[in-house]
Amino acid sequence: MAHYLARKVVIYLLTFYVAVTIDWAIPRFMPGDPVEGLLSRMQAQPGSQEELTGYYTKAFGFDVPIWKQYLNFWAALFHGDLGPSVANFPTPVWELIRGALPYTLALLVPAVLLSFWAGNKVGALAARRKVLDNTALPVSYVLTATPQMWLGIVLAWVFATVLGVLPVSGAYDLSLQPTWSWEFVRSFLEHWILPFSALFLVAFGGWAIGMRNMIIYELEADYSNYLASLGAPTKLVRRYAYRNALLPQITGLALALGAVVAGAIVVEIVFSYPGLGSLTLSAIQNRDYFLIQGIFLFLIVGVLLANFIIDIAYVFIDPRTRIGMQGGA
Amino acid sequence: MTSMRITKRRTAGVLGAILALGAAAAVVFMTAGGASGAGSQTGTATALPRSQTFYMSGNQWSPNNDLNPAKNWDYITGLVGFAYETPFRYDPLKDKFTPWLASAGKWKSKSTYVMTVRKGVKWSDGKALTAKDFIFTLSTLKIPTHAQNPLWRDTGLKSVAAKGNTVVFKFGANPGYQQFDFYRYNVAIVPRHVFARFGKTDLASGNLKQPIVGTGPYLYQSGIGTQTQTVVWKKNPNWWATKALGLRVAPKYVVDIKNGTNAAALANFVSGNIDLFNNFAPKSAIRGSAKTYFSKAPYHLGANTTWLFPNTTRKPLDDKQFRRALAYSINMSQIIDKAYQGLVEKASPTGLLPIWKKWVNPSLVKKYGFSYNQAKAKSILAAAGYRDRNGDGYVENKDGSKIDLEIICPNGWSDWMTSIQIIASSAKAAGIKITPAFPEYNTLVDDRGHARYDLLLGNDRQYSNTPWTYYQYIYRLPILSNQTSMNYERYENAKAWNLTKGLDKIPSSNVKAYRSQMAKLQTMFMQDLPAIPLWYNGMWAMFNTKHWTGWPAAGSDRQFTPSTWRNYWQMTSIDMLTHLRPA
Repeated sequence: MAHYLARKVVIYLLTFYVAVTIDWAIPRFMPGDPVEGLLSRMQAQPGSQEELTGYYTKAFGFDVPIWKQYLNFWAALFHGDLGPSVANFPTPVWELIRGALPYTLALLVPAVLLSFWAGNKVGALAARRKVLDNTALPVSYVLTATPQMWLGIVLAWVFATVLGVLPVSGAYDLSLQPTWSWEFVRSFLEHWILPFSALFLVAFGGWAIGMRNMIIYELEADYSNYLASLGAPTKLVRRYAYRNALLPQITGLALALGAVVAGAIVVEIVFSYPGLGSLTLSAIQNRDYFLIQGIFLFLIVGVLLANFIIDIAYVFIDPRTRIGMQGGA
Repeated sequence: MTSMRITKRRTAGVLGAILALGAAAAVVFMTAGGASGAGSQTGTATALPRSQTFYMSGNQWSPNNDLNPAKNWDYITGLVGFAYETPFRYDPLKDKFTPWLASAGKWKSKSTYVMTVRKGVKWSDGKALTAKDFIFTLSTLKIPTHAQNPLWRDTGLKSVAAKGNTVVFKFGANPGYQQFDFYRYNVAIVPRHVFARFGKTDLASGNLKQPIVGTGPYLYQSGIGTQTQTVVWKKNPNWWATKALGLRVAPKYVVDIKNGTNAAALANFVSGNIDLFNNFAPKSAIRGSAKTYFSKAPYHLGANTTWLFPNTTRKPLDDKQFRRALAYSINMSQIIDKAYQGLVEKASPTGLLPIWKKWVNPSLVKKYGFSYNQAKAKSILAAAGYRDRNGDGYVENKDGSKIDLEIICPNGWSDWMTSIQIIASSAKAAGIKITPAFPEYNTLVDDRGHARYDLLLGNDRQYSNTPWTYYQYIYRLPILSNQTSMNYERYENAKAWNLTKGLDKIPSSNVKAYRSQMAKLQTMFMQDLPAIPLWYNGMWAMFNTKHWTGWPAAGSDRQFTPSTWRNYWQMTSIDMLTHLRPA
């Protein structure tokens, strides 16, 4: 177990190091100087230009050689400092991310878990059941092939513009401020449904198809046939098949997380939902390098962490891993 | 079987718990995030009454957490105008200064200006506004990195001192009258007793976390935070202007909505959730209860001129004859129809905004101006020695080398993208080869600053009290290694820059000298065309008449700037709020 964990930790640390280094490098190799961009946005008078350039170059830490900037970046990172936002100087990037994070998590976590749960259930039910298979399968194919952004636009158009039953954008009503009141919670949920659905439905389709195919495969396995020939009820056979089919699906969940996060970003933009996605858009629009860097760093850590948790969970879910480890260790 | 069912139930239970916890945690985070933004946060527990609330959108792109009135590219909408106010206001449509926090102001001599601080004005915490607040505010502008530092650097201002109820500004010889006038309505006076605790760095570039203690018509209610959607302002029952000038702002609450995507914002306007919409919207949106300043084309006031900047350090754009030919070749009406559906107006060949029309000399425009004329473009090219020597349909340089220019605008700016395509195709008809390209915005800013381009569009200068801001934008010298905000075309003409500086030094009261200087500048501009004026970009403003009426309108007694954009509140956008009526 310890050996397994240690190996995993090393791999994750290495991935983290490489990903963070790339994340640090990308804004620096992008064309355009953030200080110049800021001065242009300020419409700075040429008389003050030298002072302003000097001040902001120093404030962003660009006044030292590039290798030192890289070291400073890591040093700051371990102090939890992601630097100041360029466009919203001097707000710390971390403060901006912290403000947006709850909104993204409120969309992402339920969408990932519920779609995984519901998709697998429906997929398992549909396998080898003619009527369900003929309806659920094509629907799932359509859903999983739909870009989240497009589905979001369609949902917004149907439910907000045409039917007028749900709000078209934002995370809560414009006449409210975030407070602990039923009115706010209700408004929050109303605004949450559409972006959540856009994420949920697309992911749901993918899981349903995956599970349906896996179940068919498992039902044809020797153990299923053997169990059935012993006279076990179909329900029991299917239950065993489900448990086995779930394993590759969990691996799939780890792989899919990155795509889901990307999906959440575009869905938030469609609905002007004030989470990390909208923050990313405004960071890009404002050429806010440090903010872009901070958000990506955050996503990297989030996805790695989720993968790590799934890796650990796998040990408990799949007895073969445990046994293999005991034998190996 | 039983154990299976239990497992199942447990799974559902766990999922339910995760969901509930997630939702609860999210709400806790959001409320905590909102509350940590400012000390004086009072969350609205219930929704604001629609009939007393004014919803507006179109200014705020950055997070709602910058409370520094010096940062007029970032501070929360309304910070200046609603809370902090300026000594004067300026009405660009009538070219008139209105005494505001200063009850009077006068040049006592050629180099001494005296401002009288209005009596009876109180900060929202009950303390009186005094000349000391003025002096404190003006002294913060001495910080070299303060955005309004040019008041000290460029106008010749030597000292400010409080003398009883007045503020005395002493200048050296030849003050920059025009620039000083600009600062008279653009410097927001802040309370010394609140701001004195901030250091220099913070005052110039910090976000200044503070309870907002202002003098203006609204009090901050809620919404400061990095990821809030709105900022709510509540009417100040003790606003000084009610007693002193009989002014009352109509809406009890003003809600400023941060911009998301244009499409989402427009959908919000169409569904009646926004009363004033200051983003670009297609002409089709103007219908039903949606109204604009003008009832017919161009529907919106022209807020700034869109210029075509040629890089004058490159051949053949350094040749004024070539630039003239290019100006004649541009089919402006096609741009107005195709890129803007008639929502903008062709610019004067002088480049001056409609608000400066009285300074435009029509006989000079007739003599030196240009308009779309392909034949004329061709004849200018021919006369200047640009001929098509190899028969490819395009003219070559005088030395026979090929002319192959590139025109750029930021990718995604769809109206400009269409416009530069039209410019390229109409130039082609005159025999000038221009290819449009759409780099990313930051690349463009970088290239623009360092003269790595041929042709590009720019529209950075808004309404102001003086065309000096426009001529500075075109002519400012010296050229720096990086031109971040003006003279992108790197046009070096000492005579023109001296004329511009001269204009700054003529007080507006000296109409005759002012007019004559303006005539010289116009003549020089139209003869040389260092930049080609194209059209007036609109002060995009759509009004929803469902909840509020009495909007600004041409030809009415409500000719005000209908804009939430920064620096417009201290023009006449505040008058818009005092003239609105509930529908």
